[in-house]
Amino acid sequence: MTNDPWRQWQTFLAGLAGANPAGQTRAPRDGASGFAPFLDAAERYAAAARSFMQSAAGGSAPAATAAAGIFSDFLREQFADFQMPWSAALNAGNGASRAFSFDSPALGATREQQLRMQRMAGAWGRIEDAQRRLQRLWSDALREAATAFAARLASPPPTASAEELRKLYDAWIDCAEEAYARTAQTEAFCNALAEFMNAGSEWRRELQADIEHWAKLLDLPARGEINTLTRRLKSVEDQLRAARTGLMPTADARTTRAAPAAAPTARKPRAATRTARIPPAAARTARKPRAAARKTKRARGKSKS
Amino acid sequence: MIGEGIYAALTAASHCTAGCSPKEAVWQSGKLTLYRYRPIAPSSGGAPLLIVYALVNRPYMMDLQEDRSLIRGLLAAGIDVYLIDWGYPDGADRFTTLSDYLDDYLAGCVDQILQTHRLDALNMLGVCQGGVFSLCFSALYPQRVRNLITMVTPVDFHTPHDLLSKWVRKIDVVSLVGEGNVSGDALNQLFLSLMPFRLTQQKYIDLVAQTPNRSQIENFMRVEQWIFDSPDQAGAAFREFLIWFYQDNRLAQGRLELTGRKVDLRELRLPMLNLIGMRDHLVPPEASVALQRLVGSDDYTALQFDLGHIGMYISARAQREVPAAIAQWLATR
Repeated sequence: MTNDPWRQWQTFLAGLAGANPAGQTRAPRDGASGFAPFLDAAERYAAAARSFMQSAAGGSAPAATAAAGIFSDFLREQFADFQMPWSAALNAGNGASRAFSFDSPALGATREQQLRMQRMAGAWGRIEDAQRRLQRLWSDALREAATAFAARLASPPPTASAEELRKLYDAWIDCAEEAYARTAQTEAFCNALAEFMNAGSEWRRELQADIEHWAKLLDLPARGEINTLTRRLKSVEDQLRAARTGLMPTADARTTRAAPAAAPTARKPRAATRTARIPPAAARTARKPRAAARKTKRARGKSKS
Repeated sequence: MIGEGIYAALTAASHCTAGCSPKEAVWQSGKLTLYRYRPIAPSSGGAPLLIVYALVNRPYMMDLQEDRSLIRGLLAAGIDVYLIDWGYPDGADRFTTLSDYLDDYLAGCVDQILQTHRLDALNMLGVCQGGVFSLCFSALYPQRVRNLITMVTPVDFHTPHDLLSKWVRKIDVVSLVGEGNVSGDALNQLFLSLMPFRLTQQKYIDLVAQTPNRSQIENFMRVEQWIFDSPDQAGAAFREFLIWFYQDNRLAQGRLELTGRKVDLRELRLPMLNLIGMRDHLVPPEASVALQRLVGSDDYTALQFDLGHIGMYISARAQREVPAAIAQWLATR
């Protein structure tokens, strides 16, 4: 193993990808269960970190500050395109809001469908708007994280070992999570997220209604009628259960569910049987008295979760 | 391990299955299965312990692998352990309500165990959302629960640092759920968004940047399997849970009713043990700590661990301390 940390890091990454010369390294990485993006990101990160360390090491204080700024900007850019995990699925329909005019009058036989499509387009517009607001807040959080990270880089590590690269990366993640946590707690973020989800719900509901409409035209089974059947079945099940409860006595009056009025004090036999076998009072007596005072113990330690 | 071996190890570990302790299905209802674990130590002589897990993830996290198994720790202490597997709800379950889960499924499991053991009451361990169910069940059926243990369980859903609650409070839940189920995958993405850098970036970098041995890789893959094995949520129950607990905070405010019956935590007089993760990002410690001021029990113990939500199940420290704490607490009651 060489003493050059950059080579160490590259050797390490190459090792992850199969430790073989070019041409053979891509194949296992591409098929590595989704790890390729993380390895690529790690390579980009390592290159930027190396550049930062080289610039900062032995340089003047202003040079070190400038290098820290460049490094933190790099990290910010790396995560700038990051989207909230739930937003990816909605991107497939990007641009739908522009396909429909919001203010065209709904007339004639297709009036209902047109209104539905307009509502869908409106909902999609709200989704896009909310996503833009979230993206701005995300960007703000990254800027805050980058500033905090740059401040931490004011004194670069004495050696540029692979271990130091890891520490730098972990420090960046800490800064990013802290900044994100502050942003995510704000009213603006909560409102944008809620609008994103609420508009998404509306868009989905209108789309479902539209698909139901076409399914009915083709006499295909649709969710609405399946729901109706499921509801009827559940209602029958509930009535059966209530009737059963009404017929069966129970030892505890509180266990009686909202049952038919004809049997309000019904009891279940199994509970009665249990009571006959082991009287609750006897069981209670056998236990320790409950005089123990309230207490709160703390069992803190240093192990990580 | 660095080099050609790591991908082979990751690939091989992709097929690792979680769950290690022998168990048998003793009762089924719909998609629910009640399991009883086979003993591995002489019985402690106490009442059986029913573990009530959350609906939002799979319960095998409690028995991930031999050296990461809360259940194994409890079995080793001579406790007779039962576990509820809620199954994977599908479209036919969309109108299943919280009352159905409590009054039919959970009550059915309890009855089954009590009948088997000819007992009047059992011990219950509720985990996360399952802890909320356990609290509600114990309040509704006080004679059937002898001792109650809650673990990483939210009680006050409106504490200042509860990010998930803040997000949920502004969402139109009725519209979100509609008449369908809620995708477990979508829900999972929301959980990941609570700490996106750590949960979608850093942990993978951490894995490949270390030199993990086979055992560590297999452990990682089992946890990965658990995290992304997210059942869809029965729509009606999910809607009720979000509105009643997260948005209205009815449990903490004493305004919760299930099937027309009030769930009053002050009525809880049984011995209670509350296990709290001090670094829990899903259930902030304050959300759990609140239980003490809300219950009527004069035998209440809270144990706080410097662990996160998942660490409470599978960290090395949890293996040493959590089952022992539960066994010790139960042994004196």
